[in-house]
Amino acid sequence: MLLVPCPVCGPKNAAELTYRGETHSRPDPNQATPEEWRSYLYLRDNPAGWLREGWFCSSGCRTFFTLERNTTTGELREPLLPGNKVAGRPISDGTEP
Amino acid sequence: MSNHRIPDAPGQLINRDVPLTFTWNGRRLRGYEGDTIVSALLANGITITGRSMKYHRPRGPLTADYWDPNTTVQVGDEPNVRASHRLLRDGMNVSAQNVWPSLRFDLKSANRLVGRFLTAGFYYKTFMKPAALWPLYARVLGTFAPGGVVDLDAPPPRNDKRYAHPDVVVAGGGPAGMAAALAAAQAGASVMLVEHEHQLGGHLCWGDDTDRAEAARLAHAVRAAGVEVLTDATVTGRYEDNWLAISQRGLPGIDERLIKARAGVLIVAAGTIERPYVFAGNDLPGVMTSGAVRRLITMYGVKPGNRAVVFTANPSGDAAVVALEAAGVTIAAVVDGRLGGNVVAAHGRNRVRRVTLADGRRIDSDLLITAVGWTTPTSLLNMSGDRPVYDPEAARFFPWCPPDNVLATGGLAGDGTTEQLVAHGEATGLLAAARAGVVRHRLQHLTRRAEPVTTPEPAWPADERPPLPHGSHPALFRSTTHGIVDYSEDVSSKDLVQAADEGFDSVELVKRFTTTTMGPSQGKLETVNTVAVLAEARGETIEQVGTTVWRPPYAPISLGALAGRIHEPVRMSSIQPWHEAHGAQPILAGQWIRPNHYGDPESEVRNTRNRVGIIDITPLGKLDLQGPDVPKLLNLLYTNSWNALPQGAVRYGLMCAEDGVVLDDGVTGRLGPEHYLMTTTSSGAATVWNWAENWLQTEHPDWQVHITPVTTGLTSINVAGPDSRQLLERLTNDIDLGPDAFQYMQVRTGTVAGVANCIVWRIGFTGELSYEVHVPSGFGLFVWEQLLVHGQDLGVAPFGLEAQRIMRLEKGHFIVGQDTDGLSKAPVTGLETLLKVEKDDWVGKPEVVWALSRGDGPRIVAVQPTDPTVVPEEAAQIVAAGTNQILGRITSSRFSPTLNRSVCLAQVHPDVATPGTTLTIVLANGTRTTAQVMEHHAHFDPEGSRLRG
Amino acid sequence: MRQTSPVIKQRRAAKYSLGGLIRRGFSKESWPRVWREPEFGSHYDVVIIGGGVHGLATAYYLAANHGITNVAVLEKGYLGSGGSGRNTAIVRSNYLTPEGVAFYDRSLTLYNSMARDLNLNVMFSERGHLTLAHTDSALRTMHWRAEVNKLQGINSSVIDPAEVKRLTPSLDVSENVRYPILGALYHPPGGTIRHDAVVWGYARAADAYGVDLHQKTEVLDVLCTGGDGPEGKGPGGRVVGVRTSRGDISAPLVVNCTAGWASTIASMAGVRLPITTHPLQAAVTEPVKVFLPTVVVSGSLHVYVSQTDRGELVFGASVDPMATYQMGGTLEFTEELASHVLELMPGIGRMRLLRQWAGLCDMTPDYSPVMGPTPVEGFHVDVGWGTYGFKAGPVSGEQMAACVANGRVPELIAPFGLERFSRGDLVGEKGAAAVGH
Repeated sequence: MLLVPCPVCGPKNAAELTYRGETHSRPDPNQATPEEWRSYLYLRDNPAGWLREGWFCSSGCRTFFTLERNTTTGELREPLLPGNKVAGRPISDGTEP
Repeated sequence: MSNHRIPDAPGQLINRDVPLTFTWNGRRLRGYEGDTIVSALLANGITITGRSMKYHRPRGPLTADYWDPNTTVQVGDEPNVRASHRLLRDGMNVSAQNVWPSLRFDLKSANRLVGRFLTAGFYYKTFMKPAALWPLYARVLGTFAPGGVVDLDAPPPRNDKRYAHPDVVVAGGGPAGMAAALAAAQAGASVMLVEHEHQLGGHLCWGDDTDRAEAARLAHAVRAAGVEVLTDATVTGRYEDNWLAISQRGLPGIDERLIKARAGVLIVAAGTIERPYVFAGNDLPGVMTSGAVRRLITMYGVKPGNRAVVFTANPSGDAAVVALEAAGVTIAAVVDGRLGGNVVAAHGRNRVRRVTLADGRRIDSDLLITAVGWTTPTSLLNMSGDRPVYDPEAARFFPWCPPDNVLATGGLAGDGTTEQLVAHGEATGLLAAARAGVVRHRLQHLTRRAEPVTTPEPAWPADERPPLPHGSHPALFRSTTHGIVDYSEDVSSKDLVQAADEGFDSVELVKRFTTTTMGPSQGKLETVNTVAVLAEARGETIEQVGTTVWRPPYAPISLGALAGRIHEPVRMSSIQPWHEAHGAQPILAGQWIRPNHYGDPESEVRNTRNRVGIIDITPLGKLDLQGPDVPKLLNLLYTNSWNALPQGAVRYGLMCAEDGVVLDDGVTGRLGPEHYLMTTTSSGAATVWNWAENWLQTEHPDWQVHITPVTTGLTSINVAGPDSRQLLERLTNDIDLGPDAFQYMQVRTGTVAGVANCIVWRIGFTGELSYEVHVPSGFGLFVWEQLLVHGQDLGVAPFGLEAQRIMRLEKGHFIVGQDTDGLSKAPVTGLETLLKVEKDDWVGKPEVVWALSRGDGPRIVAVQPTDPTVVPEEAAQIVAAGTNQILGRITSSRFSPTLNRSVCLAQVHPDVATPGTTLTIVLANGTRTTAQVMEHHAHFDPEGSRLRG
Repeated sequence: MRQTSPVIKQRRAAKYSLGGLIRRGFSKESWPRVWREPEFGSHYDVVIIGGGVHGLATAYYLAANHGITNVAVLEKGYLGSGGSGRNTAIVRSNYLTPEGVAFYDRSLTLYNSMARDLNLNVMFSERGHLTLAHTDSALRTMHWRAEVNKLQGINSSVIDPAEVKRLTPSLDVSENVRYPILGALYHPPGGTIRHDAVVWGYARAADAYGVDLHQKTEVLDVLCTGGDGPEGKGPGGRVVGVRTSRGDISAPLVVNCTAGWASTIASMAGVRLPITTHPLQAAVTEPVKVFLPTVVVSGSLHVYVSQTDRGELVFGASVDPMATYQMGGTLEFTEELASHVLELMPGIGRMRLLRQWAGLCDMTPDYSPVMGPTPVEGFHVDVGWGTYGFKAGPVSGEQMAACVANGRVPELIAPFGLERFSRGDLVGEKGAAAVGH
């Protein structure tokens, strides 16, 4: 089982966390066209390779965080801290590897 | 039995001082403590231990170890016991499997006669006509299912689980594995050594005196060094990040234990498995591998036959000759494969009688021993992502490039003397300990709240082990004749050639077409022979053909061990014991168990409508929200507006997901300036909590809101009915319950029955005047009992979930998830006034706005069947009259004791949602009935005068 | 699509029969190759990506029903190496929505006559399919499915625990267990089939019509022109061929019949899909004498189980929550599986798990496939098959072949178009349990 490094609790068995899937930015709900909104709701890159994804430390500290995982090798990159990096808004602040 | 046992000698594991009795197919036999079932059977002269799957050919011990495909037996109520591994116990009831009607006389062996027609995949080519008969054919084929019998009424096995976090796990307790474990432990690592067999030592156990002395020395040193040694245990799986599954068998009182270990480094020292040889008659009882006879003679003191032909191509075969001679077996011939000798066929009916050699000699014998080479059990390496490579010079596969935290040693990695293997093991153990140290450092570094690690991460130790040599071995897989390749599936080399000729010529296709490697052996003995036969048929090399993937588990593991003790907790309120003592019928609702009713739900309804009832609604989800930005959160999560909720007020709200689908609903009350209590549906409590946290952390981390789940911290009781105010007034003196002081949709905090800090809100899911009392749960039962005591004269009585469901349905309240479904967008509810399109942002807004403008979504409507006695089933379909075209369905339906007629909610197409429309309902029995769409959702008291009273 | 000829005669394939087995048993004459190893062509009228049951069935029906035989099926591994060979081979048609029911019922019809149609015994075992309900709400969903099914003429009904016990004695229907069995949706026509045989049957029959089956041929790119995106890909463009590990092929029509790699292939044409890829795990026990006569599914316990004619219990569960293309499997799957199956059948705790494996499932938001044309002209998809692709193989092939050949979307698959997502008109199968077997 994958060890997922929660930024607060440290590495934990993946089963102790909740997987939240591919992150994607939320369009402005008052401006988005149906096409854009439904692209946000339904369409996914689903890459065979590096994927930015959300995790939730549901059985621990309850932190939502994102990390990057390679969907073909299982490799992980440094998790991102909550607050300055948020799921649903994959904005880089320059600290990621 | 004496003429099948040899005298006591060093190395024997049996204790002749402790005789054991057991039965074999009902016959009483004797063995010794330390015997395996098979060694005891052979000692009694029994050489046929089972019959083959397809042709029901007689089979006897082949490898005499755990992987022996021919010695699977039934022991009591346990099927498929590996009799060459399982130790004999006194009183064991052992029987042969796959025999019909008996082991000696098996009618299905008639299949041998028609074998020429039962070619690979024959069933794909026939039984097609007449189609109606195929089920019959299938049933007959089903009786050929191999394996033992499951006794469904047997007491369940006892199993438990354990977690472990060793630095190093060593899979395999032979010389290299023991040396590795010892070196790693001496280097400071915590080490677990897992040995598949009953004792440490590996192949040294059936070696000579020097071998056994070395095994004993290492075994002693390993234990002295503090290594945790598990015998009769197998590392069955290696998963991501060295998450290991270890099956531990033969424990007192425990059938099998699953150990889940997170290892820093895994050392695979699984040794080698001796390969059977493919030739005509190679599955006759009496044909054995060299390892089999060496084990039987050396460890169990069994003389496996009287006259042997030995076909040897390696030192193990040579050693078998020595062992056989020592046991008093006549060596009829030694055929050396290194010098070009070969065996062509074994003959006999129920065991070997004669052997034909390539040089034309025909030799009478009852044993044919083969030593033709090794299969490397690279299973754990494959599970780690490695793809082992074939070395034609050594005629076996070797590890290629396992991940950094998996190391191979011993026979798996190469050949060598015991000293060389031990030296390689030591080097591997040291490397593993060093790497495990780095892994430990990393894990601690990532755990930022643990004791901080200040030292820099050590460099990753390079693998500088001198490799073990790859010895030279003749490539011996198949003779000039055809024989069995997969013993457990009864697949012959001829079948494989035929499959390849038909076009099933890749290793995966041939496997699927013939089922080779798919049986209980799972390729341990037959994968390499399969590949070799296929390569020969295709005119390719073994490297070109490649192998199939070894999948977990390495050794079969029982369902009981995987399940462990089953932990499925149930949630209950603090009042549940009272309910159970008072005749409540329980109902499971998600994780909760709660009273459905106390005997008569309809009278519970009447009592609540006419007097006063109390219900335990603790499973209601409850979230305590505090902070200045709570209104922002409520505005985001709910569809309606929360800007001006006064302190002391409660409001109903509906939640959607981003796709506009109804997610949950409930009321939220404002208890203080920055303090709110939110309720959710029982099933939605966790979802909403996570949902709210998600929005706060990911989209609005600047908002100051703190959420605490208090579902079980508060016991919730609804006091409902015309006399509910009167009852509650008797139990509180600091809350003014006057109709004007405490109005509908308001909340108060105060003391109830002397219990402080209760939250009381006045709402009405049942449609009655009612108060929901949230009591600190330690006092829940007390308050419940006080309500019953003080309301006795008022006729207070408890009511359950069923009565509440009836009353809410009489009132037309929908239930999220029952009256709505996974595609129901918010307009389905008909609560347009709650969908505030002018609000800036709320979850799901765009979809709800578009759905409103389309107006073509289904609607929830109240429905009254024309015949008031007809109660349509929930899920009964609503169709266009005279057709099967579905227009909707009944989502809730009950007989109303209040109205004395059926009451329903339905989800229908908007074209038939207009009040007054006549609907056609198809009942479950197929009859059709009609119903009217009603004006209001509420069947009862649509003005709400009762709950506002 | 121009039809090359109205009726193409199938080249003669060896007829499989009992008589043939006996004759060849005596004569030792071997059977001919099941399919050819064809030359690699540089142009085809239709290129089908994916040599599983969907791709092969599409190829077969293009030839058999529409006379289109200049067709290549490209498979990066061996035929049936993906989901077709990894599923648990359960077929049924008791879906929740009318469109789902109609579609899968057609598939079941085709499965029923497949052995005769393809002259290969696919070992269809119509043994009855039970979906257990452990809660009131699950029971309500079973009733919902049963009522919809009945209106569509599907044999499907809700039965009580006593009837469940009668049909499947090994199930524990007592009340004092954590998840009591309150009833079940019973679907007598459901059953199991030999999945590999279905693959080989279609492959053999398509090959006999002249379809080229290229194994070990990986598609590296989809060649497009005129589209909005880079290299002429994307909406507004059209497909002109594919680039493979063995060379380029020009083709005006390309059908993406992959699973697991549907998003990857679609992105080669500049098409985004509503798909995430998750492993679905399965496991098999050592064989024991046959005791389980039906297919048993429990949505609440996330498990389904059936027993093969060989005596093995075959288990499956719902897809793993984490999206990945890795198929290593997890220990947790086997642990949960075992604990749940022992809830249902406490007597089998001593049976041993022999092998676990995983396949890749392309999950869509509404548990329904994506079929038909895309914004790239000539680039069709038959993807998003989640955990139910095998059941739908025959009908998907038949309908996709019609779609490609006629240039019109057949009625049966019209509800499953890609455009439903941008329109927000999802199919209602999500109402059914996530364990859809």
